[in-house]
Amino acid sequence: MMTSPETLSFMELAIHQARLALDALEVPVGCVIVEDGKVIATGRNRTTETRNATRHAEMEAIDVLLGQWQKNGHSMSEVAEKFSNCSLYVTCEPCIMCASALSILGIKEVFYGCSNDKFGGCGSILSLHSSNTTPVNNEVPSGKNFKCTGGIMASEAVLLFRTFYEQGNPNAPKPHRPLARQT
Amino acid sequence: MMNNCLIVHIPDKLPYDLHHQPTESVFASAINPKHANQIVRRLNQIAPLDDLRHVKRIQKKVLEGGEIQLLVILCLASEGNDQLDSMPPHLQELISSYQLSPFITKVCKYVATSKEEWQEQCKFWPTSYHPRTYNIDGITGFSEEDSQSVLKFMQSAVELAKSNGLLVNAAVIVDPSTEEIISSACDQIYSWNSCIDDSCNGKPESFCSHLNISCRCDPHEPLHSNSSSNRLLKQPCTGAACLYTRQWAEQPRHSHSSYYWHPLRHAAIVAIESSAARDRNLFPSERSNEASYQELDSENASWTSSPAKRQKTVYGNGEDDDKLNACSQPTGQQSARPYLCTGYDIYLVWEPCAMCAMALVHQRIRRIFYTFPNPNAGALGSVHRLQGEKSLNHHYAVFSVLLPEEGLA
Repeated sequence: MMTSPETLSFMELAIHQARLALDALEVPVGCVIVEDGKVIATGRNRTTETRNATRHAEMEAIDVLLGQWQKNGHSMSEVAEKFSNCSLYVTCEPCIMCASALSILGIKEVFYGCSNDKFGGCGSILSLHSSNTTPVNNEVPSGKNFKCTGGIMASEAVLLFRTFYEQGNPNAPKPHRPLARQT
Repeated sequence: MMNNCLIVHIPDKLPYDLHHQPTESVFASAINPKHANQIVRRLNQIAPLDDLRHVKRIQKKVLEGGEIQLLVILCLASEGNDQLDSMPPHLQELISSYQLSPFITKVCKYVATSKEEWQEQCKFWPTSYHPRTYNIDGITGFSEEDSQSVLKFMQSAVELAKSNGLLVNAAVIVDPSTEEIISSACDQIYSWNSCIDDSCNGKPESFCSHLNISCRCDPHEPLHSNSSSNRLLKQPCTGAACLYTRQWAEQPRHSHSSYYWHPLRHAAIVAIESSAARDRNLFPSERSNEASYQELDSENASWTSSPAKRQKTVYGNGEDDDKLNACSQPTGQQSARPYLCTGYDIYLVWEPCAMCAMALVHQRIRRIFYTFPNPNAGALGSVHRLQGEKSLNHHYAVFSVLLPEEGLA
């Protein structure tokens, strides 16, 4: 199936976020969250800055939304309803942590760039987007399934990783981070 | 007290019953030792045992009278088909040219995960066994002293959860080398004081006390509000976030005053956040240091090399010995800056969900201890088993701690 121009344009914005991460010496992953055809949140990786390795792009964007929606006075059930109408565009397949978080929030759909064959939670290592069964009787569901499409602008996403790992950042303040290949 | 406390390692794989390990049928044959090299070389070409790499192709048997017999595996025998003519033509040629007499035997299907498993496997047919290359304290057992320490910290996690009637999960991150509590937290799904994040610049102690105050349960919390201490035995009622991850979505709750709710603020996530905040407060970085101390983990580690290795190269020429010593042997109160939670342990009352378990991989936790399994969403043995996912770039050891009942009463 052809990727729609709309999907590509949202992924462009996610790539832009990943570039911002790269400029800030972070692992270059970025994302946007879309509701009704409009970008309502952006996020990029901040693991180095925060020294918190869980601060992935998805978590950053999710926190922006939760803050906004609560400020606007939405209740928990309303927020759950809103997430079920949101799509996430992210440059790299969500890791197991983020895929689980997206399932807990009940996001509608995820589009990603390159796959993540070490940590991927949307098919590569675990399939948290499709592993939730319909609960019987009074069982509480542990998460919601979501639709997942990968490979969108994957080469651009991989190129950013290469730039990060192989060259370091040319804009970095002195001293430069040593080249990865030199050690 | 010790007799009541049991610390059990949760292995990477679900162990098989030692004496009922899954087996696979294969065709094997005795061969003339003079032909062993040629036959094995040929077999590796025409019938490689790709799914049985742990199984030795050849075994040596000493018969009565000291005569040595060599047996070789020819190929897999498909289920219910013991007919030789089902073999590929190349194999049939090999059999006839060396005048072999194939028979069916059994080999163990999966690689052994312990010495005991391996010894049992070899009774069928020899296999190779490589003990785990990394060793984490406790996998091979705990000393009396270490057990006491584990019990003490697990009790403190339970105490924290108990202040909420065990309705929430609680997490305590500990540096076992100093026995210092690095951070602790309860679930903060329904009440999160936004001050916790960055504006509290206090010492670690004040973090803990602050968290203790802020992680109260909302009085309107609908879950099992009638539980009382006399019902808290082995498996208490709970609303622990890792067990009921979607419960939040059914709450008609609005935020009020400075308290916010957040569906992802599970205890482990909050404890990691506090430990990162502590790190930033204790070791404020200069811009230049930050640039050279790159964290190359996160989303894709395919091209990484460890920061520690890279740092060593900076002081490679001997002239900087003083500098090196100054870095590696910090004096006074300034202790070495930790790399995330490397070397730290976490104590959780409930087995974490996949989100929390993966967060603990990212943050490089060394060991996880929990008391109650999480049949709904547990990711360390109950539903998933992250500690056994080989592709991950970090692996922790997982233990369940059975507390004495008085610890919960």
